[in-house]
Amino acid sequence: MNTFYLQLKKSPLAIIGLSILLLWIFAALFGPSLVSYTYTEMDMHNQLVSPGEQGHLLGTDALGRDVFSRIIYGSRTILTVALLTSLLSSFAGIIIGFIAGYFGGLVDTFFLRIMDILMAIPPLVLSMVVLGILGNSTILSLTIIVSIAYTPATARVARGALLTCKNTEYVDAARIRGESNIFIMFVEILPNTIGPVIVEITARFAYSIMMIASLGFLGVGLQPPTPDWGMMVIENKSIIRSAPWTVVYPSLAIASLVIAISLFSDFLSKVMINEN
Amino acid sequence: MKTENVLEIKELNVHYTTLTTTVVALKDVSLHVGPKEALGIIGESGCGKSTLSYAIMDYLPLNGASTGQILFKGEDLLALSNKEMQKFRGNRIAMVYQNPYSSLNPSLTIGFQLEEVTMFHRGFTREKARETAIETLIDLHLGDAVGIVKRYPHQISGGMQQRICIAMALLCRPDLMILDEPTTALDVTTEAVILDLILELKEKYDMSMIYISHDIGVVNKVSDRIAIMYRGEVVETGDKKAIFDDPQHPYTRALINCIPRSGVVKEHVKLNTIPGYVTRRSAEESGCPFVARCEQKNSTCEEQYGMKEWAENHYTACDRAYATDVPAKKLQVDEGSIPDTGDAEHKNVLELDNVYRYFGHAGKRVRAVDGINLTMERNSVLGVVGESGCGKSTMGHTVTGLYPPTKGRILFDGTDISVSWRKRSPDVLKNLQLIFQNPGRSLNPSFTLEQIIGRPMKKLLGIESKQERRKLIIDILKKVDLGEEYISRKPKQLSGGEMQRAAVARAFSISPNLLVCDEPTSALDASVQASVLNLLVDLQKESGASYMFISHDLNVINYLSDQIMVMYLGRICEYGTKNEVVGSPHHPYTEALLSAVPDVDPTKTRGTIRLKGAPPNPTQKIVGCPFSGRCHRKIGKICDTTPPPKVDISETHYVYCHLPPHEMDIIATKKGM
Amino acid sequence: MSFMKRFLSRLGFMALTVVAMSFLIFLLVEIMPGDVAQTVLGQAATEESVAALRETMKLNDPLMVRYGRWASGYIQGDLGESLYMRGVQINSIFWRRVGHSMLLALSALIFYVPLSIFLGVLAGVRAGKFSDSVISFLGLATMALPEFVSGILLITVFSVNLNLLPLTSVIPIGQTLWQNLEILVLPACSITFVMFGYVSRMQRSSMIGVMNSDYVRAAILKGMPKRYVIFRHALKNALLPTITIIGMNMGWLFGGLIVVETLFGFPGLGSLTMTAIKTRDIPLIEACVLFITIIFVFSTFITDMMYSFLNPKIRFKREDL
Repeated sequence: MNTFYLQLKKSPLAIIGLSILLLWIFAALFGPSLVSYTYTEMDMHNQLVSPGEQGHLLGTDALGRDVFSRIIYGSRTILTVALLTSLLSSFAGIIIGFIAGYFGGLVDTFFLRIMDILMAIPPLVLSMVVLGILGNSTILSLTIIVSIAYTPATARVARGALLTCKNTEYVDAARIRGESNIFIMFVEILPNTIGPVIVEITARFAYSIMMIASLGFLGVGLQPPTPDWGMMVIENKSIIRSAPWTVVYPSLAIASLVIAISLFSDFLSKVMINEN
Repeated sequence: MKTENVLEIKELNVHYTTLTTTVVALKDVSLHVGPKEALGIIGESGCGKSTLSYAIMDYLPLNGASTGQILFKGEDLLALSNKEMQKFRGNRIAMVYQNPYSSLNPSLTIGFQLEEVTMFHRGFTREKARETAIETLIDLHLGDAVGIVKRYPHQISGGMQQRICIAMALLCRPDLMILDEPTTALDVTTEAVILDLILELKEKYDMSMIYISHDIGVVNKVSDRIAIMYRGEVVETGDKKAIFDDPQHPYTRALINCIPRSGVVKEHVKLNTIPGYVTRRSAEESGCPFVARCEQKNSTCEEQYGMKEWAENHYTACDRAYATDVPAKKLQVDEGSIPDTGDAEHKNVLELDNVYRYFGHAGKRVRAVDGINLTMERNSVLGVVGESGCGKSTMGHTVTGLYPPTKGRILFDGTDISVSWRKRSPDVLKNLQLIFQNPGRSLNPSFTLEQIIGRPMKKLLGIESKQERRKLIIDILKKVDLGEEYISRKPKQLSGGEMQRAAVARAFSISPNLLVCDEPTSALDASVQASVLNLLVDLQKESGASYMFISHDLNVINYLSDQIMVMYLGRICEYGTKNEVVGSPHHPYTEALLSAVPDVDPTKTRGTIRLKGAPPNPTQKIVGCPFSGRCHRKIGKICDTTPPPKVDISETHYVYCHLPPHEMDIIATKKGM
Repeated sequence: MSFMKRFLSRLGFMALTVVAMSFLIFLLVEIMPGDVAQTVLGQAATEESVAALRETMKLNDPLMVRYGRWASGYIQGDLGESLYMRGVQINSIFWRRVGHSMLLALSALIFYVPLSIFLGVLAGVRAGKFSDSVISFLGLATMALPEFVSGILLITVFSVNLNLLPLTSVIPIGQTLWQNLEILVLPACSITFVMFGYVSRMQRSSMIGVMNSDYVRAAILKGMPKRYVIFRHALKNALLPTITIIGMNMGWLFGGLIVVETLFGFPGLGSLTMTAIKTRDIPLIEACVLFITIIFVFSTFITDMMYSFLNPKIRFKREDL
């Protein structure tokens, strides 16, 4: 932990990333009680107000809704869904990847082939089609579908991490003292894959945000009036010339959040994987 | 008359700067290499010998910096620009590396990689370069040189790859060749052939040579003069004979005496050990680098330390003579009988009845263990020796149950255990333990020693109380010379030797009857190996357990074993008591193996038997004798067509060979070690 | 495994994947809530007319029979009829859209592949230096941006502020894409952004790995000049993993196409897919998704073959000497 802190101190980009991420988490937790408007509140006298005018920090959209407040509220849903998605898909991936890699042979081939087939359809296309067909996405359906779409990828990472440990002698030692497979997988091996697993979860967190924003943008994400960053962009795209702030600020919110997580995750992978 | 030295290193210092500290890799190294001279550099891992070779080539990592002088024929290499240095590299000074496979570019043909050297340094055309390459390959006794240049590195064997690397170094007829552990990755019989080749080429091309190795025997074989390095410093240099006959520095003495060599056996001698382990050197440290581990240190070690001439051409950094303890000081072996353990009904602790173990599917079947019959007596140490791929580890793993045998029966104390670990009773699991080659990988890095050693106690002895376990763990740790404080440490906080001792502690914590040791010391430095071997000898005496000791190192096997079994390609070649196998070998492969072991004693040199080629592909079905293709005493077609019969030499000694008895006697009288 | 054997086994797996995917896609659309015939005719339709349409569409047949009919139609090149645009054969609109998307993907590809390989190699060779930090940060940042975000930023700069390029990528009626090539620029750039990050980072790390390898060290210590070592010894080995990455990301590229085409209103396969989903046009959804899958599986196959061909370890078997 000490070296982790030391290395963090020497990586300005990681510090920037972590700070921005913490800022967004703070905004998601406490922001809604601090902003002056709710996400549905329409200021009928102040439609398409430029940023900074009439008490609207980032302006208003065509319906007179405060862009800043909507972004703050939006951070809540996107962070929640992305966090759940990254945890859920990593969890499922670890279970599947560990079982496939640990037992090897036919079990492995079976799971690998299924994963390969599922990976033949790009995650975004898969989620988009399924969500589009099901219609009326909720936080629950969004989380589950995106998690399923990402599970093949996380399973591969988990399988790879397991394989680096599987052929070590401490696993052999555990076997010849008669430990159960579950014990070997989750007590002997799992703690040693924690580095790659944590890196995968954070990277997956960033991917999930990109995915959820893209789904929102395509109109198959959360339904209005729930504030969604991706949706805010497509809703106002037609007025980009006259009111660019309605489009640019939500875009920047997405950009800052994903880049921040990526910077931090990049740092984590340097520290937790390469150093070992 | 003093001829000019080819290389003269003066006060070379190299240090690396890391995020937190400065590490001294080389300190005040001064060395010289004369014309046609071979300088051997010996040292344990981390002593800076590789850094030295890269410093000579002016190839240090970005965080490394060097000061001092490296004069090559009078020109200071450290003062040269990178561009000027290019003219020396590969041309006047050439290098050969430890791992030939990774040193060759996988996506370029061998021919291309050879040709570019002369094309650059000599301005040859491609045709001329190819001609030179083929000529050089022929000099290295590579039969099909024309065919080889068209191949890619992965298509040829490891021994062949190293010859390619040596040829690459020789292309421009360099003045100096640096060889950095060139045979460490190779099998002992291949190593013997390469070493002979190196000596032959050195004569032929009038080269000077620096030969770096951790293996004293190898250095002894190839060098004229020897330098001993420890923690970045040269502690002693001198002619080969002087170093071996009259070592001065306590480290040199300790190093030479801690290696089991011919004639050194556990019955007579306890190996010398060096307490502690090699540590990193900080910039502030001064004085003798060995002082922390030296048993004869005194107040002068710091102040008066420095290289002095001890005798002609013999320089040492510690000139206080401790003549009394060298080389006679041998720790006395305590007499005493080994307690008999286990079920007295069964004389044999282990029996293998026609055991086979195959891997892979039909068509690509690897016959790792190909019909082994063996009985192991209680309270004995069986040494299993053979080169990589001979199936010795697979046999050990089959015994411990990591894989069940494909065919055949294994009896352990009379119980049939021809199944995998999953189907074995807890009692068998407890009584049959395995110690692995690499302690860093056999101890789970996520757990403390208490958890690591405690788990088998809980699982197999059923000791549920944590206090009780802790007490026993502390006891066993003491037995392996680890203090109580180690109980809460994780493997990463231990040195290699400490880790292996912890692994030994784990195995002994549940008092097994049979311990399979799979190359337990081959990942360790010489000085650490000795302490682990001593520990294993002591523990056996105390507990009466039997060992199946698997190793590629005949010296270690000879030191430790009561019986020796020689394996080749999954089958037994020869089996007998130690004196029988080593003293009067009857199988040509044993003969070759014994002749290939480099001797530590400089007065003894013996002719090595050069085996042809590499072991055959293990996926091939072998009808006759597996060794026939490489055998120097092959008698004819019968060797290829008929499996060799078991020939009993004595009640305890047998070989599998077609040779007529009188020819076997010739082998026996020529003797190996 | 020999090259030929590998080729055949991959080919077999490719076919298997396509068949399995086609069935999955067919099944997926089956679970769509609501009755298809009802959807087509609208909520006002009578029960009789719905039943009649079900009969004509043969919706009452068992699942496997319908799948067989659907699949055999595909094999004969019949993609069926659109549900939303009644009477329109999918074939008549589909292939033009595919052509547009291919052109868009290709223009992005010829842009980002050389660029990211070049900068990735540069960063890898100069690892730890300033130019590396800049390239690495750029890669990380562009990789992190969803296509529509980079698209919006590009639009803001080049269309809104500078007024250089069209804001949307619509082809005027009566014209072809070839007459309006400028509409490709911004969509292609948006795709390039994401792909650049990914590929250049991969290229950088594989280059670093190769530059630290024993054989590059051996080449340098043979006295070869650094530039020569980079181009003759390092590059080929460092490109191998990149080829895989580029091939494997064809799927990502297509996901990106959907987003980018929606953003710019570009008339390609992606926006067609989106329209199909929005209008719940089942045959069209099936055609689009299956086609994307086939493209992806096929490019993976090509990549794998290229990799095997360029890698002597796979191409030439080890012979025992």
